[in-house]
Amino acid sequence: MKNINIKSALFAFTLLTTFVSCDNDYKEEAPSIASIAVTNEAFSTLEAAAIQGGVAVVLSNPNPNDPSGDYTVFAPTNDAFARLGLVDGGSLGVLQNSFLTNTLLYHVSNGNLLANQIMDGGTSTSALGVDRRFVMREGDLYINGSKIIITNVSASNGTVHAIDKVMLATGVNIVESALLMNDAKVFTSPELTFLVQAVVTSGLAPVLADENNRFTIFAPTDAAFKAAGFATVEDVANADPSFLQQVLLNHAIADGGTFTCEQTSTTATTAGGNTLTYSPFQNGVFTILGNSNTTPANMVIPDILCSNGVVHVIDTVLLP
Amino acid sequence: MMKSVKLKQLDIMIKKQLLFILAVTTLGYVNSAYSQSPISGFMQGKGKGNISLSYSSEKYDQVYLVPNLADGVPIFNEVQISSASLYATYGITNQLDVVFSLPYITAKGDASQEVLNNLDYENKRSGLQDVSVFVKYNPFYFDYGATSLRLIGAVGVKTPVGGYKEDEGLQSIIAIGNRSTTVSAIGLAMFKMDSGFFATGQFGGNFASNEVPNSYISELKLGYAVSKFYGDAYLANQFSTSGVDILGEGFQGFFPATRVSYTKIGANVYLPVYQEFGVATGISTLLAGRNIGKATGVYGALVYKF
Repeated sequence: MKNINIKSALFAFTLLTTFVSCDNDYKEEAPSIASIAVTNEAFSTLEAAAIQGGVAVVLSNPNPNDPSGDYTVFAPTNDAFARLGLVDGGSLGVLQNSFLTNTLLYHVSNGNLLANQIMDGGTSTSALGVDRRFVMREGDLYINGSKIIITNVSASNGTVHAIDKVMLATGVNIVESALLMNDAKVFTSPELTFLVQAVVTSGLAPVLADENNRFTIFAPTDAAFKAAGFATVEDVANADPSFLQQVLLNHAIADGGTFTCEQTSTTATTAGGNTLTYSPFQNGVFTILGNSNTTPANMVIPDILCSNGVVHVIDTVLLP
Repeated sequence: MMKSVKLKQLDIMIKKQLLFILAVTTLGYVNSAYSQSPISGFMQGKGKGNISLSYSSEKYDQVYLVPNLADGVPIFNEVQISSASLYATYGITNQLDVVFSLPYITAKGDASQEVLNNLDYENKRSGLQDVSVFVKYNPFYFDYGATSLRLIGAVGVKTPVGGYKEDEGLQSIIAIGNRSTTVSAIGLAMFKMDSGFFATGQFGGNFASNEVPNSYISELKLGYAVSKFYGDAYLANQFSTSGVDILGEGFQGFFPATRVSYTKIGANVYLPVYQEFGVATGISTLLAGRNIGKATGVYGALVYKF
């Protein structure tokens, strides 16, 4: 009798223990690019942006547009987004979704681009169709004005590099780019409305829209124009066109258009013939002082690539 | 002879008090720590049964993704799931029970209002989920004197009764169900000693309609059951045989198609309170998983037996 009990107990327990097993095979699998963003706290704003911009599912899957099935993503960290005031997922609401999506696509390219394949002066075409260019400065590698701070993170569907600034590209010329901001197609509220009026009133629009003229442009915000004494956009419209032209030309450098990391000089000669004084390049930016300014202008949105130059949005009007 | 009759009476008393433990609902979709197997090793006896009302609450702020555990639930940060369930079981014959359950589930996220506005999402989903009905048959009972072995087979079906949605994109991270109709088959063995200690092991398969992957479930339970007390601890497992990983290849933002697997432990206690009424409570937590929140939860139930 006892023997039967022991036998049946053993039978029962053997049966039971074989039932329970874990599904742990996946621990060795590589995460997708989307999964890397979601599981890494330094990319929580990017995660929210990818969800809001509708690319989270895309970056979960293999790339159908490349034989390797892979993407390369230059992933802005939370600090990169915070430079633009985008401190968390909630703050992304200030952006138009279409602009957000395009901006994310500008960080993506087909195939695997590893750090050792990146050369100073080289370029890479983004999924947005607009090129990015690589710059080597003091041993650091930059893509446009963004420093690549972590390289070659391998994902199941490609490669991730982390960058310290969000890359921005409009795909259109400087005037049309300013109009996108003016028409609230970037932010949900209009911006650069005073500047757009100044460009129109001064008669400089054709010059700045010309694809053959390549500039670096410092673009003062609406708040900067107000601080300079223009209470309304109408005040700008009513100002003397030649005065406005003189002021605007003090914001343009005919150097082909340079990103922050490409600026090594401490002075620059403007299209108006005056001098701007730059502070040393630090943490990806520098300040700009006009001849008649008492305090230098700070960069609010640096390194916006346009089809005929680079625009840096600044917080002070640069006085000649 | 006298001993045998006494034991039999005790056994019946215990049986009558037990099935309510299952009041905690069954086969939930919302990554429920409380999706316990609906089938226990005890039978009701002809004409007998119980009805219980339970309330469970569980929470998670980490998700088992592939290959890593993610801190913070995407969009919703933290998810809290509560459910109120009606559970009943009835013995049609001494060898045949029917088991019924119907949960009302509320899932709440903790996304900021700004994020909800940006995505046009909401922090709450609630409703009647899926009704499940199981038929449980006990053809074999081996009495070895001081011990016994019981073998049970059960088949059941679970199908949505509420109008909840499962296809709202990433909003469905807090969907309360997957809207599949699932047929389940379970085999169970219970080994029991006269001292009150028992062990049950069960293994089953879930065969789901639509894009929900099929899965195997297993549960190993060790417990102690006497007339005035019942307690158990269990290790349960679900293994999906196919499906996509969240944010992995093939993922299209449709959560029912995901491959949900997990291993969890839990414990249940029941105490008779007054006449035919008793209370049950329990805790449960996930030890490992795939495409599921790392949930920990508790429940309480009021049980009436007849």
